[in-house]
Amino acid sequence: MNPHRRHPAISIATVLVYGFLYAPIIVLVLYAFNASRTNIIFEGFIPSFGELKMDGSNVVQSPCGPFHWFCELSKNREVTHAARNTLTIAFVSTLTSTIIGTMAALALQRYNFRLKGFSQLSLYIPIVIPEIVMGIGILVLFSQLFGLINNALGLGGDSRLSLGLGTVIVSHIAFSVPFVTLVVQARLQGFDKYIEEAAMDLGANELITFWRVTLPTILPGVLSGALLAFTLSLDDFVITFFTTGPGATTLPIYVYGLLRRIITPQVNALSTVWILIVLTAVFLLQRLQSRQS
Amino acid sequence: MNNKMFWKLVTILAVTSLVLAACGGGGDAEPTGDTEIVASTGFVCPAPEPRVDVTSEELNIFVWTEYFPPEMLECFELVYGIKINRDEYSSNEEMYAKLSAGGTNYDLVQPTDYIVELMIREELIQEMDLTRLPNLKNIDTGYLDLPFDPGNKYTIPYLAGIDAIVYNADSVETPPTSWADLWKPEYADRMVFLDDSRVVIGMTLLTLGYDFNSRDRAQLEEAKAKLTELIPNVKLFDSDSPKTAIIAGDADLGIVWTGEAFLANQENPAIQFVYPTEGAVLWQDNWAIPVGASHLDAAYAWMNYIMQGEIFWLLLRDYPYTNPNLAALEFAKANHPDVYDAFMNSPITNPDPSVIANAVVIEDVGEALPIYDEIWTEVKGGE
Amino acid sequence: MLQRLRENRSAQGTLLVTPTLIFMVGLLIIPLLLTLVVSFGSRDADGGVVYGFSFHNYLRLLGYSTDCPEGQSVCFNPLYMDILGRSVTLAFQTTVLVILLAYPLAYFVARAHPKRRNTFLFLVLVPLWTNFVIRVYAWMMLLRKEGVINIVLGWIAGLFGLPFQPLEMLYTPGAVLVGMVYEFLPFMILPIFTSLEKIEIPLYEAAADLGANPIRTFLRVTLPLSMPGVVAGTILVFIPVMGTFIVSDLLGGRQVILVGNLIQNQFLSARDPTFGSAASLILMAMTLVVTYFYTRKFGFGEEIVAV
Repeated sequence: MNPHRRHPAISIATVLVYGFLYAPIIVLVLYAFNASRTNIIFEGFIPSFGELKMDGSNVVQSPCGPFHWFCELSKNREVTHAARNTLTIAFVSTLTSTIIGTMAALALQRYNFRLKGFSQLSLYIPIVIPEIVMGIGILVLFSQLFGLINNALGLGGDSRLSLGLGTVIVSHIAFSVPFVTLVVQARLQGFDKYIEEAAMDLGANELITFWRVTLPTILPGVLSGALLAFTLSLDDFVITFFTTGPGATTLPIYVYGLLRRIITPQVNALSTVWILIVLTAVFLLQRLQSRQS
Repeated sequence: MNNKMFWKLVTILAVTSLVLAACGGGGDAEPTGDTEIVASTGFVCPAPEPRVDVTSEELNIFVWTEYFPPEMLECFELVYGIKINRDEYSSNEEMYAKLSAGGTNYDLVQPTDYIVELMIREELIQEMDLTRLPNLKNIDTGYLDLPFDPGNKYTIPYLAGIDAIVYNADSVETPPTSWADLWKPEYADRMVFLDDSRVVIGMTLLTLGYDFNSRDRAQLEEAKAKLTELIPNVKLFDSDSPKTAIIAGDADLGIVWTGEAFLANQENPAIQFVYPTEGAVLWQDNWAIPVGASHLDAAYAWMNYIMQGEIFWLLLRDYPYTNPNLAALEFAKANHPDVYDAFMNSPITNPDPSVIANAVVIEDVGEALPIYDEIWTEVKGGE
Repeated sequence: MLQRLRENRSAQGTLLVTPTLIFMVGLLIIPLLLTLVVSFGSRDADGGVVYGFSFHNYLRLLGYSTDCPEGQSVCFNPLYMDILGRSVTLAFQTTVLVILLAYPLAYFVARAHPKRRNTFLFLVLVPLWTNFVIRVYAWMMLLRKEGVINIVLGWIAGLFGLPFQPLEMLYTPGAVLVGMVYEFLPFMILPIFTSLEKIEIPLYEAAADLGANPIRTFLRVTLPLSMPGVVAGTILVFIPVMGTFIVSDLLGGRQVILVGNLIQNQFLSARDPTFGSAASLILMAMTLVVTYFYTRKFGFGEEIVAV
């Protein structure tokens, strides 16, 4: 039986599910061209360049024509600032959690030590804890801690420890690490140690063995974990809300806050740009892949 | 997954994301000279009067979402050279939760009246030095010295509004005139309510003839029974943007606040705002300085600056609430009569004094709060 | 000293795990313990915590109530148990639907040409990289009375000259279910895919050689071997559904109260952190119990997070 042959029913179902996954995305992109500032009902595509009427009476200058909201987006300092924060937090927390998570995975799979059982168990906590509990818990912890340190060292004013980008990054690392660790652990489980032993027999020390033998083999797992950590960080709202401070607003918080007033199509424009970037990357990857073989 | 390809993907994503982020840095205006400072929208920034001495370089504000005309923030940053860091919240309770946990570093917050008393009791906000706020003279005295903060020791007003009933005249045959009308069966499954236990339970108390801020258990039990009949008729609860449901036709009437009603009416003139006979709910958003703020001079500079008429009138233009700033009204009357007229002629932004006289205000109910919450959970949660 | 470190395997292990352990203990275990302590306290007049040791919050959750109709001093108030029940039901429904939708797609990708598999997987992940709140908001745009679906249906009805009444889809429990299924679908697709991918071709060929038709092959070979993935996916879906509050907030019109909404409410509007903490711990206990029994029956798949 041809292993790549599939029952047509499966193919149809797959198309439908992909359609389900992307329907909201398509709607998001469509509404990025909505000729309506309030973005509640689709009033049609922005028809022209220049002056145009929106929502009945509002006259708006739109030199960018149909891409009006994209232009507005690029001028919107708040959104781009939030986007920058979100990316910074995601990169830093992903990098850190990947490194220490991989270390932890190695420890748990390869070694025996006293705190092994406890460590393994503690990794499952973020998976079962409600985000709001974690968020508030961390907030209280930081507040007490900062209060103590600030008083002890006599810090005041701007040099005081307080909530901000740093606290958000730290809390993101906290919920990402378990995922990285579990993924890498899974990868390590199938790993045959004899290659490592062979390398050591040939004279390589632990570090070189790790770098040249172990790491390349577990790399797919490490990168999957990193990808997961990155995704979790990008989207986090609840925990970020409770641990953020002045100037450290992230996109999810900004967007959720916007829902209070008017959520203009700018947000749709932002989503569209984001999706384009990711899709382009995927497309390029596909080209690279086919060219490699 | 091949690691080489993955790294290429990551690099592409990273580079493009950074490029996008960097591009967004534009839009900052530059002073065109030392005579005129212009914001990026072309608005000429008025000079600060009086100019406050400041040494701080930053100002951290924790405020409601979408409550500031962009020119207001930009002009302040330009004329004083102070960078504003803005964090936002969409409910007083969120703000309270963060402030009471400690560890935050904000210079200004915007509590609504009922939570001010609580924050004073919990020592979360500090006393204001009114001598440092000469522009307070611009504020209508009707908004000062109110029961929640006698003598304005801790807060000064920002904007005020009213919670009342909104309906779509095109789809509602007999318009409601009172809170009690909401119980009419013809409105079933067509209403949007604020997701606010105090407003909804309070107005139920009013229909029963009781005090809006009652702490009496028996009265609250009665309100709960009455509310249990009503809640199944509510289509949705929304304290973020209730006008959306009305404009979109998902609901035909409901409880909303001033700003929402005005914007809905602008979008669809058939949407009307009516003040219920038992009394609409007044509220006021205020400025307060949290304990431990590190940029006090910048905070006072900010409050003084925005209270100037030539700046505050922007709120008339962008955020249609009742406006406590007399200087702003004067300025608009003289320089932007169309905005002024639209504002004054609308019963939404400029309600009849009898409405205000008849209105009620949310006050802290202290130990009765858990009762309110349990009622709320029960009427919403039971099916 | 380095030499001694080299020889002491146990010390090496401890060293490697320490940074992670610091984070886990500091940012998870300590806040959890704090929550536990608070849950035994009482609420003071202003919403602060009066530390003590009392089970009254837990009893209240389980239905113990002194606020009873005449005569009785103690009675059962099903309110909170109802909320818990509703959340479990929704989580269960979501999980079943997600499995039904995820399986065909995962199967398709697992059997696809190896070169294209990554692309298909990325296509599954791309929606996740937009923003969670925006995705839910997009569903509002789809489902509302004058939303995209109604517009399309109305247009189709117009083509056939049929009368059309817009469907009321938004602000119903159904909308919440759709939203939840949508949000968590990718988290089931990936684990099932991983376990399906591991099934080697010779197994299929062997089954065919032995005379099994495709359905039989599926039931006897494919399905059992893919169970670890299904288990992992179930855990990744069931637990978060229990705790999410944003989906029911936005799509249910705040009429659908789940445990997540209850907890959020306690910490914010109701200002009763003691009750909220108790509710959180009960939620965690429930998820732990479900996870334990489920993995006991089906095994704990490493596919829980593998891609």
